[in-house]
Amino acid sequence: MRLRFDPSVETVRDEFRDWLGANRPAPAEMAADPALSTGHAPDWMRRWTRRMFDAGWLVPGWPPELGGRNAGPVETFVVLEELARARVPRTSNVQGLGIVAPSIVDYGTPEQVRDHAMPILRGEATACLGMSEPGAGSDLASLSTRAVLEGDPGSGEWVIDGQKVWTSGANYADFCFLFCRTEPDAPKHRGISILLVPMDTPGVTVRPLPEIVHPGEPDLNEVFLDSVRVPAANLVGRRGDGWAMANGSLAHERGMVWVNAVMGLEEALEQLVAQAPALLAGMEPAERALAADEIVRIAVDTQAARCLGQRGFAKLARGGSAPEQALMKWYASDCRQQVARVGADVLGAGSLESGGVPNDGHLAVDEPRGTWMEQYFHSFANTISAGTSEIQRNIVAEKVLGLPRG
Amino acid sequence: MDLEFTELQQELRDTARGVLASACPPSLVRGVFEATAGSEGADALWATVCGLDWPGLGLPEEHGGLGLGVVEVGVLVEELGRVTAPGPYLATVTQFVPAVRAAGSSFRLADVAAGTCTGTLAVAEHGRWAPGVAATRADRVGDGWRLRGTKSHVVDGATADELVVVARGDAGPGLFVVPAAEVVATPVESLDPTVPLATVELADVEVHGERVLVEPGDPASASAIGRALDEATVMMALSTVATCRSIFEATLAYAKDRHQFGRPIGSFQAVKHRLADCFLAVERAGALAWFAVLTVAEDDDRRPLAVAMAKSAAGDCAQLLSRDGLQLHGGIGFTWEHDLHFSLKRAVTGDLLLGGAAFHRARAAELMGLVPGHEGAA
Ligand SMILES: Cc1cc2nc3c(=O)[nH]c(=O)nc-3n(C[C@H](O)[C@H](O)[C@H](O)COP(=O)(O)OP(=O)(O)OC[C@H]3O[C@@H](n4cnc5c(N)ncnc54)[C@H](O)[C@@H]3O)c2cc1C
Repeated sequence: MRLRFDPSVETVRDEFRDWLGANRPAPAEMAADPALSTGHAPDWMRRWTRRMFDAGWLVPGWPPELGGRNAGPVETFVVLEELARARVPRTSNVQGLGIVAPSIVDYGTPEQVRDHAMPILRGEATACLGMSEPGAGSDLASLSTRAVLEGDPGSGEWVIDGQKVWTSGANYADFCFLFCRTEPDAPKHRGISILLVPMDTPGVTVRPLPEIVHPGEPDLNEVFLDSVRVPAANLVGRRGDGWAMANGSLAHERGMVWVNAVMGLEEALEQLVAQAPALLAGMEPAERALAADEIVRIAVDTQAARCLGQRGFAKLARGGSAPEQALMKWYASDCRQQVARVGADVLGAGSLESGGVPNDGHLAVDEPRGTWMEQYFHSFANTISAGTSEIQRNIVAEKVLGLPRG
Repeated sequence: MDLEFTELQQELRDTARGVLASACPPSLVRGVFEATAGSEGADALWATVCGLDWPGLGLPEEHGGLGLGVVEVGVLVEELGRVTAPGPYLATVTQFVPAVRAAGSSFRLADVAAGTCTGTLAVAEHGRWAPGVAATRADRVGDGWRLRGTKSHVVDGATADELVVVARGDAGPGLFVVPAAEVVATPVESLDPTVPLATVELADVEVHGERVLVEPGDPASASAIGRALDEATVMMALSTVATCRSIFEATLAYAKDRHQFGRPIGSFQAVKHRLADCFLAVERAGALAWFAVLTVAEDDDRRPLAVAMAKSAAGDCAQLLSRDGLQLHGGIGFTWEHDLHFSLKRAVTGDLLLGGAAFHRARAAELMGLVPGHEGAA
């Protein structure tokens, strides 16, 4: 136990920091052309992802041919931390880089890796994740979009019918990592398969769903699939294994996603604390004390999120299991919501004035931005998506604490 | 930042846990609560603790210690808190020793290491913990100081051999060591007899020489007192979180075991979510406490704020676990016969001693510059 990593890790940090300083996209360039959805990669972003890939910094833990350098977990952590500190995202296509590409690398054929994973890693293509449906949200395994194989598994085609919803980035993405029911007679968890579906395939219709804040830049979409045909070879992994792979793919980088979540939280808190003196100065003593208390509470939470993340990470890095990890998505997203809420409360009626905070391009599209009140509403993106906070509690209770299913 | 134990620290924890399972069973704690066996049980436990050299574990070898650090002391504090161990360890090792060492002194440390001296730290007055508001006086007499005032809620105040007292002179607060014989200590009847409290009266007690740890007006005074209190406070946080963890584990086991409506109560979502919240509270407070321990161990600038945050989170945790731990046990948890109340009471004791959650949030607010601080506070 100690506050600092080994000097050898700090050497990696220095090396990366130097490289980052010399190669990063310019803030002006980022602000001039921010990503409009998680499927949209502006030109600077494409070049930047490619540059990271070539230098082996994109996914440091992977081998060089996949954009890495076989780095250990601690080095990877340091790289992610420095990127967040420098306010430079690795990609706008978070689900592509974080979930789709790793899943294809793990479960896909060499051709799928070449044609679908590599373009994501090189910044040439973006992917969306088609899981949720109107009737299947938290209960994802009940999804009903159907795919039927016509012809034989080698040369036939899948014919897909159904609808997805809340598909982030589908309005710009090149292809969809689509979850379909292929074995209608199997138990619901064993009847799902994953197909790679180019978004320009006939029969795919995308309808953007403007969101409650920043409605001019929708990230969410409905995706309608009407007799969509893709080659049999677009099946990822084995038929009926989709659910098991989903748990694998959502687990991808789970050891690391907290880094961005916590650093986003820290950044928001830092802004709040920087604004606090001016906001508190005009208050009556009692109000001031109460407002200060709200800020302190969320500061404690922020520090706790950092420490919990580091503690779980330290266990994982030693090869052990870390129950803390199961708490991070739930806790960090709740804290992020709370810091925005406190910001809005302390600011008072001023927080009702909207607009006026330009998008500087440094935040992922799904991260809260704008005024405090806009951030507050935006922050529900992360308490709802990828397993709501209630579902996270269920998971903690059942998988970590071993409580029986209800 | 590496917030996980080294292998040696894990071994120490496992050893301590093994020893305490037999040296401090619930029956021993019950004996203390019911005062059935006099202090025999607690004395036997203390003899075991001394036999293992735990009092001197974190002291340098030159004072007869084992030369380990604050983190290793924390490991023991957690294990002792986990079993709600009675005895002088907490006050002696996490309050007296840090005060002496923060002052750069080695007064009686060798005796502590040898298990022949116990001590404590007297800070609070009227239940208030801010050293800056201490009214106990320190006035010059000849080459020494005369102390006058009353300290409240002193852990082991009626039994410790030596008491470090925070008292205020004209030039600010100082630290003094007073022998038990010179004070009038009145035990306080309190909820948790495993952490005995006393009111300590100092009626013109004169202290000289090495018993003057830090003189009022010494430029190092504020930092020494701050450091001592921070170490005592973070260890209380650690102990409290460990107690909370044992409440959590007992409650979780009960939720799996107890059946109603034909199924384990832990299968009801209302129960599940409360347990998930409790788990988060324990992990959250534990992570903050260990971070704060590291800032003490490595003398990091972030220490005062980290400690305030850790203690406030330990308080939150104690409040939640004492509530939900009891509620989820139903009627059985409400009985004296069930062992749960030992840890419930220890948890709320740990919350409030050395300042509760609100006190430490207020401190954090000062340290973060959100509200004006006390001028001249230590
Ligand atoms: C910003 C955003 C981005 C998203 N991106 C994607 C994407 O790219 N791809 C994709 O496939 N999906 C995406 N989603 C969908 C997301 O995964 C679902 O919204 C989420 O799983 C919840 O499903 P639902 O909206 O149908 O709500 P429901 O499942 O209907 O839940 C409604 C409420 O009921 C509660 N609830 C439901 N079941 C339980 C239970 N068992 N116990 C306790 N409470 C329960 C929930 O917690 C919630 O509060 C995104 C969602 C958002 C908000």
